[in-house]
This record gives sequence, structure tokens and C-alpha cells, in this order.
Amino acid sequence: MDQETVRTICYLARLEIDHNKSEKIQKDLETIVELIGSLQSIDTSDIEPLYNPLEMTAFKHEDLEMSDNKKNKFLKNAAESNEDYFLVPRVVE
Amino acid sequence: MSIQFKSITELNELLNSKAISVSELTQESIQLAKKYSELNCFVTLNEENSLKRASTMNRDQKNSSLLSGIPLAQKDLFCTEGLRTTCSSKILSDFIPPYTATVVKKLEDDGSITIGKTNMDEFAMGSSNETSFFGGVHNPWKKGFVPGGSSGGSAAAVAAGIVPAATGTDTGGSIRQPAAHCGITGLKPTYGRISRWGMIAFASSLDQAGPLARSAEDCAILLNSMSGYDSKDTTSLNSDVPNFLEDINQSIKGKKIGIIKEFNLSDLDTEVQKRFDESKKAYENLGAEFFEVSLPNISASVPTYYSIAPAECSSNLSRYDGVRFGHRAENTKDLNDLYIKSRSEGFGDEVKRRILIGTYALSAGYYDAYYKKAQQVRRLIKNDFDQVFKSIDLLMTPTSPNTAFKFESKGIQNPVELYLEDLFTISSNLAGLPAISIPHGQVNSLPVGLQLIGNFLREDQLLNAAHVFQQNSDFHNAKPDLENF
Repeated sequence: MDQETVRTICYLARLEIDHNKSEKIQKDLETIVELIGSLQSIDTSDIEPLYNPLEMTAFKHEDLEMSDNKKNKFLKNAAESNEDYFLVPRVVE
Repeated sequence: MSIQFKSITELNELLNSKAISVSELTQESIQLAKKYSELNCFVTLNEENSLKRASTMNRDQKNSSLLSGIPLAQKDLFCTEGLRTTCSSKILSDFIPPYTATVVKKLEDDGSITIGKTNMDEFAMGSSNETSFFGGVHNPWKKGFVPGGSSGGSAAAVAAGIVPAATGTDTGGSIRQPAAHCGITGLKPTYGRISRWGMIAFASSLDQAGPLARSAEDCAILLNSMSGYDSKDTTSLNSDVPNFLEDINQSIKGKKIGIIKEFNLSDLDTEVQKRFDESKKAYENLGAEFFEVSLPNISASVPTYYSIAPAECSSNLSRYDGVRFGHRAENTKDLNDLYIKSRSEGFGDEVKRRILIGTYALSAGYYDAYYKKAQQVRRLIKNDFDQVFKSIDLLMTPTSPNTAFKFESKGIQNPVELYLEDLFTISSNLAGLPAISIPHGQVNSLPVGLQLIGNFLREDQLLNAAHVFQQNSDFHNAKPDLENF
């Protein structure tokens, strides 16, 4: 894993790493990738992945109208909002 | 009268005989939390609300649940309406949830009183409680030593006798390992047994809530309340919940316990190994039979977990963007900059490390090699468990390879060193199986835990085996000396 790969992953994850920590992070990531890379030696041909230990289909509930509007409570947790929306920096000029 | 170190059953007797009122009990529990504030168990105390609730509680002896009027602590990743919930992260340090987690609601509906929210590793990512934004928790048995993690605050609060029980969550050992390091009992139930609704997600296919208490019996009382189907959680199991207290006293004569061949116990610290051999002997004396069993793929559990858990974490934690809730950076030039700065300022180093690994494992070109591969190995691990549970009832391992260690003594140079702490606990999360840790002695004045793993939905067998052991030993009654802490 080189610095360029670390920079790409950081961008994909929308994270910035302090300059003085980047070498340590790169080294840590290399060590962890080496750990998880050890799985390559296990033969998994014809083995279906197990994404969830229950392997159940999600339970479907009846399509009933429910009223549980907590808009004000949710908006209150935002750093910036008006009475209807979350506010973000302008995205369209 | 001191209520410190009392069990739920003992507290019930005191409440029933009117030796103490619910208000006095709540007050006493909060006073203990304050007295031992140096342990740093709590992120937020719920003093005003819990005293108010206690004062309005009518405790009808005949119809009361065993949890009625009992003070509990909740791990600070269960959402509590109107009460700050931080996940021990800067990014949620001011978050006031608009709803309450199903687990907390069920416990409170049964009459328990939430006295506070406990410290933990940030977003439950850690095995030592050192990654909390609010500072590490001290192990009540030795100052300067970690309580384990990630439910370290809950474990320390119970071990210090502040509350009789607390909630935790376990993604790779986060209930069992701190229970072991703090000398208490901790149960990770079957995946799906307890609703995850309102429980802040780390790795959704592995996370499971469970109780920490001073005995298996108290864990059973909490499990009775916490379990059950919840339509708000699509992975919640729609299956019957037994009364976990009913058969807890049964004899374990003839129970078949497996010892996993692939875990080479002779590599362990000699004293940890000795405690394990003594407990095996104790179980034999209680009538259990031991068999060596093979789980050929179990040694791959740690790399499998450290591919899957970070992948799910990177996806779950993408919601923290500074827009709808959580920390928001100032002076940002555009939306992308807002995302990057808010997340970079809000997350700690371990969380960032795991997000980055997960992002890498899920990125184009690596998905098959790391993420899909790990999920395939996960099936092999689960198949191995399915096979051995055809012929045995329980599996027995140490909970952790070591006792609690000093702050900043592990994982600083190499994070994988700390990941290996989870060696014995991780596989049951991957397979979705229930497992319990019980105290079984000490090494160098620090507690050691014994782990029992059960078959799918067989928490009753785990609690039974743990309870019978505790009825015939005294390890779970050991108390740390907190007077000179």
C-alpha cells in the first residue's frame, strides 16, 4: 500500500489524515491488510458468502399508514436548519 | 445501609421488606457513581430524571417485575430520548436522541431505572476502552489497568458495585472480554435474539446487545426483559423467548462440553491455563463430560472479522456527515469540505483506521479478494460450529488470552497486537451464536474469565451451566478493594 492508495481511500471515506500521522496510518493499514490477506490461502471455491448469520428473508409487515412525525425533534439535532430543512453550504450557483 | 455489590435478587428483598425505598436505592446508586467518578465509568449521569422517576414509582410487591425499581446503567450507544447519547465519540458529543432504543424501553417498561450512560470505546471499536473521546476507564481491580472493551464502562460500573447490572453490546467480544477483565458475568445472546433498534450501529451483521451482571442469575433476569421480536429491526428473530430463570438450577450431569483442538491452550500464560484446567475439573465434578472437538477454520476468525467488521463500519459510519446530526465543522468552503472536515475532526484514530480498512476492502478491485472472501470463510467457520453442535452441548474456552493490561501497553506500535485479544470471542459473533463469560479466579490479583459458547438460541444452556458453576464456587462474589483506589 503506497501513499497514493492511502490518499485515494481517504478521499473515498471523506477523511483527512494529519500530515504527521500519515506514515503511521500507512504502516498500520499495511499490517492490517497483511492480516486479512492471510485468508487467501483458504480454499473457498464453491462456497457461498455468509452475509448474515440468520440467512432469513426480512419479515414483511402490513402496509399500514403510521403517523410518527418527529420532524422538529430531528431538525433540532442539526447544526443548521430552518423550520423544514437541514441547511448545507450552497451547492448550486 | 450500603447497596453496593448487592444482586438484583438481594435488592428485591430489600425493596419488598421496605428496608429501602426505590428513591433511596436510586439515590444510593448515583452516590456510588459519584464516589467512584475516578473510574470514569459514566459519560453522563441521569440524576435528575432517575430520581424523579424513582419518586413516582409505586412498587406493588405481588405484581412487580424483578427489575422494578432496580438501578441500571446503559452503554452509551443505546439511544435514550432526551438524554445525551455519545458513543464516546466527539462526533456525537452533543447528540440528544429523538427516540429510545427498544432494549432500554423494554428494561424501563419492566420498572428499571437508568441512572446513567456508560463509557466505552469510541463507536465500540476497541478491546481496552482506551479509544473513548471521554478518556479511558480504570479497571476497579487495579488503577491504571484497562477494564477491557468495548463495554468497559458498563463492566467497571458493575464490578465496582455501583449498579447490579448494565447493558452492553458485543460485536467481537465487547461484552465478554470486559466482563472477564473486571471479574463479572457477561452474556452475548444469539444474533437476532435482542432488537438492535436504537442501538448505534458498528457492524450490523455482528452487533448484539446483552447483559453484564455479577451473576448468571442476574444476567437471566435482564435477558428475560431484553429479548423478543421487534418489527422495527428487520434482523430481529420472530421466535419464542423462554423464561431464562426457569431451568437455571437444573443439574448439568451428562452435559457434553467440547474443548477446541485448534486453540492451543499450552501457548497461554501458565496461570491462565491453570485456571482453565481447574474449571474443567470443577465441571467434571458437576457431572459434565469433556470431548476434544475440531473446528478446522476457527483460526481464521481474526482476519475474517477484521475484514467484515471494518467493511460494515465504513458503510454504517458514512451517515456522520455533519449535516443532520453530530459534530459539524466550521468555516468550510463547500459541501464536500463540510463532510471531510466534520468527519476528520469528529472521529478518533481507531475509528478512522477501521473506516479506511473497510473502504479499502469494499473498493473496486478489492471487494472479491477481501470482503467476499471473508464472508466465504465466515460460512466455513459457521459450518464447523454446526457440525460440532451435532454431538456436543457447549464449547469451553478461556475468554481472553490474558488478564487486563496497563493503559497504552498494547496495540500502540501495531494495532493487530490488540486485535488478537479477541481470538477466543470473535468466532461466535461470526456464526451468530450465544456465548457467556464467567469469572473463574485470578492471576496476579486480576480476574480471569471462562467462556462457554452455546448452540443457536440456547442461552438457557449457557445460563444453566454458568449458574450451576457459580452455585458451587465463590469467584463471582470476589470484590475489588475500592477504598484505597
